[in-house]
Formats: sequence, structure tokens, C-alpha cells
Amino acid sequence: MNGKGFYNFFALYFKECKKVLLSLTFLLYTAAIFAMYYTQFESEMRGAEIEPKPGLSSYGTVVREVPEVLMPRALDTLVQEYQTNSYVAYPIGFYKEVHLTGKKREKMAEIIGELTGVSREELDNFLEGDKEDDKDNKFEFTVGEEDGLRKDGDNNFVVDGNGNFRAGELDFAEYPLSEEITYERFRELMRKADDLIGGGSRYSDKYILHNFSQVPKTYEEAMAEYQQFIEEDKITGAYARLYCDYIGMMLSILPVFVAVSLMQLDRKARMEALVYSRRISSAKIISARYAALVSGMFLPVIVTTVAAQKMVMELYPGAKMDLFALARYAIIWMLPAIMAVAAVGMLLTELAGGLLAIFIQGAWWFADVFSGSLTGGIRKFNLVIRHNSLYKLDIFQKEYSDFLFNRIFFVVLALLLVALTTMIYEEKRRGRNIGIRALVKNYKNQSAI
Amino acid sequence: METQNGKGSKEMRESIEICKVNKFYGKKQALSDVTLTIHQGMFGLLGRNGAGKTTLMKTLAALHKKQSGTIAVCGIPIEQAKEIRTITGYLPQDFNMYPSMSVEESLDYLGVLSGMEKSARRKRTELLLKRVNLTEQRKKKVRALSGGMRRRLGIAQALLHDPKVLIVDEPTAGLDPEERIRFRNLLCEVAEERIVILSTHIVGDIEATCEEIAIMNDGRILWQGTVSELLLAAKGKVFTINVNKKFLAQIKKDYIVTGMLVQNEYTTVRLISEETPSMLGVQVAEPNVEDAYMYCLYCHGCELNGGAEE
Repeated sequence: MNGKGFYNFFALYFKECKKVLLSLTFLLYTAAIFAMYYTQFESEMRGAEIEPKPGLSSYGTVVREVPEVLMPRALDTLVQEYQTNSYVAYPIGFYKEVHLTGKKREKMAEIIGELTGVSREELDNFLEGDKEDDKDNKFEFTVGEEDGLRKDGDNNFVVDGNGNFRAGELDFAEYPLSEEITYERFRELMRKADDLIGGGSRYSDKYILHNFSQVPKTYEEAMAEYQQFIEEDKITGAYARLYCDYIGMMLSILPVFVAVSLMQLDRKARMEALVYSRRISSAKIISARYAALVSGMFLPVIVTTVAAQKMVMELYPGAKMDLFALARYAIIWMLPAIMAVAAVGMLLTELAGGLLAIFIQGAWWFADVFSGSLTGGIRKFNLVIRHNSLYKLDIFQKEYSDFLFNRIFFVVLALLLVALTTMIYEEKRRGRNIGIRALVKNYKNQSAI
Repeated sequence: METQNGKGSKEMRESIEICKVNKFYGKKQALSDVTLTIHQGMFGLLGRNGAGKTTLMKTLAALHKKQSGTIAVCGIPIEQAKEIRTITGYLPQDFNMYPSMSVEESLDYLGVLSGMEKSARRKRTELLLKRVNLTEQRKKKVRALSGGMRRRLGIAQALLHDPKVLIVDEPTAGLDPEERIRFRNLLCEVAEERIVILSTHIVGDIEATCEEIAIMNDGRILWQGTVSELLLAAKGKVFTINVNKKFLAQIKKDYIVTGMLVQNEYTTVRLISEETPSMLGVQVAEPNVEDAYMYCLYCHGCELNGGAEE
């Protein structure tokens, strides 16, 4: 591109920016980003993190792989779920209650049998016996007037006060873990149990530690974490990751709406032919539009980043901070997400129309959000990266190379998709039938003969 | 010899040469062996709806690919899309502009797409808005313009980069008579210095503006020549006769009726026939372009319905 070419590109870029910034979709996008920022991020930051003091009764918990803690807890829960035949699972991120019947229940009994040495009959009969023995006092409660419970004229119970009732709890049998079971075999059996339940259960690799291996944090651990927060993260680094966690979720879906809206504008305004017939190259049109989309959509990120920086500075007056952490994270974490989603939106709109673009991006986002963990577990090809904590820097550091690979991958992917969009746009401009709409049109033409 | 060659190449540079062009949509043939030469001035492309006019116009604007044949616009092969777009201005049949932009902003945006510099855009916008009589509406949003104003804005945008060729597809459809006349005059003015191709199914537009025309049907060029040649071809083939209303149905069945004037006791019928109809009181009439166009279609074996009821 020569000087005139650059001038022409920037002239078009500014015009496209105006189109993006003045569109209703962009206003809604901005509102959603601000809403996410204020309701999720800023409202959660009620005060500064306080240095842990020695001698407190609790410093919270920490997830740590301790087989002695994990195995009995997981076994107890598995037995309970078996005996009530009600397993909790989150196969695609949503709660699901699973009931096993037939062979699957038999196989589950076999797993418990291997873990405990207890036969299926014993497992099943114990529950029946337990119910029979305790049928007079289980699941029943007596409530006095002081609880605010009374009978009305129709013999219905009415609660006037803040009655706090507790039903008697079912006493489940506690079976000790067989001494022959190694931790490796235990985890293997847990995976099998998870498979029987259909995945996403408490025994899956994804959830087992979080569910059964939370141990109390020591003062030293709490202090080390705090030191890391202050010294390594220089406060703002930690807030930047949490900020990116919340806003990044939005940026992995919302840009598709703005991109679709811009790319459909010519067709909706019946202006396609006027644009197609101009001398400007397709590469210039598409790249100017893409640049306008990405820079426009990055503006609310800049604004909320500045707001977050201000908020953190107010929370820690006079503290030593990394003043560029938020900006750095915003560029490395957020920009690739905007670039990728906008590029997907542009390409799919050109190829298949806006609705399909939104549907595909929505499905991708949904699968990504509900398949990942809240913190950690960064994968190389996941669009949504989560780190829902001010702490746990060590987890992030451990996965940092995957994080960088991931973001570079999405930048490269975005640029490739933009190049592909340019090619498709040029072909359409020359009258070549491309995309679903064209296929339908072709089919109609052929069937008309 | 040199002068002759020079003249020849200049003519080629100022004309559009279309040779045996074919275009298909799937299996449907939209253009069939189209061969045409279009010179500077107004050129009319006349045909029914679905005759292939828009396809030909879009092909000339490098917006459609042909399957075979050659097209050279002012000496530039149509395959060189960027060069073709530099020298052509296109006003499509069904167009609009971003409704939220003002008239001035729309032209400026399209000027950028034409690769024009800011000063040139400003200068041309001012000049063209004056020419199409939209100076007062320059700040008005496109959505607030009337149909006629929008068409005039369409011409302004097509002329923005001062193209050598202006391609205008069905520009007067939906305009009121006054706007139509105004629009046609505007086209004639701009045709003084460039090639203007006007496609329409409204014969009146051609009659009022074009010297050279081509008639299209089913993707084929049926006829090309001047308007006077077309009229000449229909001379002696157009008749008028006053008939009782009860004979109207039979006349419509036997002849191509191009006009009827219903009066109290009789109806004056204008019809086309190769030979003088054997009816009392038949008079030979001077053909107009509409008659000549219908006669042309009739001569080429096109299915015509001269008003007869099915």
C-alpha cells in the first residue's frame, strides 16, 4: 500500500468506526460489558484484602490432593448416592440428577464392592433395614408454637414466624475403604463410576479434588498467598486476572452480535451493489471493517480497565502496584478474544448469514464456558479462559505457557479468518455464488427448469 | 493510415464491445450469445421483466461473471474488475443507502470507496448535488428523502468518481411523471460526455432519451439499431380502426392490440398486423416506439398477448 492507499484505508477505517460506534448493537454490547463490570466485578470488591493474622481459627480451605482425605469422603458420598440411587452430575455445566438402573446399577455396586468388600445384597438390604428400623423417627419433626406453626380452620399448617425446622437425617452406613485399594486404583474406579453416571459427576477428574479434597489452609499458607498477592502480583495483577475472568466471558460471545450487525448492514440497507461496484479492493474494505470492529469493541474494555485501576488504587491507597498490569492483561487476554469472535462473526455472516453466525458462536461459547473450571485448567484451544480468584497465582503461572499459546493461536486464527472472509467477499463481489443463501438460490433456479 | 488507426483505437476506447456472451444461473441461461456495440451517448436496453437486462447490466459493471464470450469496456477486458470499476458508475435497480447517514455523508462514504481524496470528494459532492438539485437536502438523512430524490442521489453517487461509463438499471420505476421527466433530462445531460446505458421496460423512457437501442428477450438481443430504424421497420404495420364493442374480443384474439380508446358508440383500436386487416374503415397509422417494440417482438416470434383474455 502506498501513501494514498494508507490514507484511503484510514479514511474508510474512521467511517467504519463511526458506523460501529453509532449502531444499536454496539450500544447494547457496551451496556452488557458495563453491567458485567459493575454487577460482577466491582460489586464483589467490597474491601481490600487483609494480611492474615496468626492464631485465627480458620484461614479458609485449599484444594490439595491428599489421598487420605479424598478417598474416604468420596467413598462415603458414592455409597450414599448409590443407596438413594440419586447421583448429582453437571455434564454440560448444568445440574442433573441421575438414577441408575439395571446393569449400570449392578456395575456401580461392583465398584463399591471392590472399594469396600461389601456385596450388593448387603448394600441394598442395609438401606431397607435402616429405613425399617428408623421409620418412626426419620423424616418427621415436631414443631411447637414458639416456631410460629399453627393449624388453621381447614387443618392446614400455617407458618407465622421464622420457623426453622430440621428433619431427622437418614443414617447411611459407613463402610471402610478396603486396605488393598491403592490411590491409583481408587481414582480409576472413580472414573468408571463417573462414566456410569454419564460424566460430569462429583467423581470425575474435573470435580473430584474440589469436592473431596478441600483441606484447611494453614496460617503459613494463607500468609504465603497474601505475600504473593502483594509482592509478585503487585495487587493489580490479581485484580486484572479476576477482571479478565468476568469480562472475558462476555467478550467470548458478545462481539459476534456487533460483527454480524456491521456485516449485514449493506444487505439490509440494500447498498451491496453500490459498495461492490466501487474500485476499492475487498482486502481494504474487510480489513477496515475488521479494524473498526476490534478497536470499537475494545473501547468499553479500556474504560472498564481504567475504572478497575481507579477502584484498586482507592482500595489500597499508597500501596506499591503494577500500574500497567490491568492494561497488559486487557491487551493479552481480552483483545485476542474480541479479534477471534469478531472474525468468526464476519466470516460466518458472509458465508451463511447472521443467524447461523450467532448460533455457532453461541454454541462454541456455551460448550467452552460449561466445560472449563472456574480457576485453572487453561487449555490450548479454549476460547474462554477463566481465573475466578484473586489468588492462585501459582496455578496461573504453571499454565502460563499454555495461556500464551492459546492467545497467540486465537490472534493467528482471527487473521486467517479475516483473510478467508476477504476471499469470500471478493468472490461474491464478482458475482460468484457462495454461501448457504446462494446454494438455496441455485437450487431454486435449477428446480424452476 | 496513422490517423485511421488512431481514430479506430479512440473509438474502441469510447465504446463497449460485447461479443457472444453467455451466462447461466445453474441450468437456466440468462444471457445467450449476446453481441452488442455501445457508443458514447445514451443507449437504451429495452425488454420485458426477466428478459436479462439486469444480468447484462451487472455483467458490464463487473458484478456478475459471464461463462463465455468477451466484453471490453473502453478497451479494458471485463475480467480486470478493478479497472472496470474505476471507469464505470452503476445505479442498480433496487438500491438504497445507509438510512441514518445524511446525503452528504453517503456520498463521502462512497467517494472513499472509490479511492477519492478528501478535496476531490468535497468538490465533486458539491458539484453533483447542485446538478441533481439536492443541495438543500445535503444535511437530510437518506431515510427522509422521497423516491425521486433518492433516485437523483443514486445518479450523483454513480457519477461521483467521474466515470466514462454510466450503467443505469430501471431508474424510473416507481417515479411520478414529473420526477420521471426530470430524471430522463438529467440522464441526457450526463450522456453528453460519456456512455450511458439505460435499461428499462418503459418504452417512454427510451423514446424520450435514446438514439440507439437494443431489444432483449429471453437473454437474447433481438434487435439493435436507432429508434428511427425501429420505427421504420414498423411502418405500414400499424393500423387503427373504429369498431363496435362487441367485436373487441375477436380483434384482441386475432391481432396484437397496442391501444384502445373507448368512446360512446365505438372503440378506436390500434393494432399491429403484417398485412392490412380485412375490415371496413381500417387506416394505416404512424407507428410510435411502443408499436415498433411490439412489432419487433412479434417479428421475432415472441409470445405476445395483445390484450386477449386467456
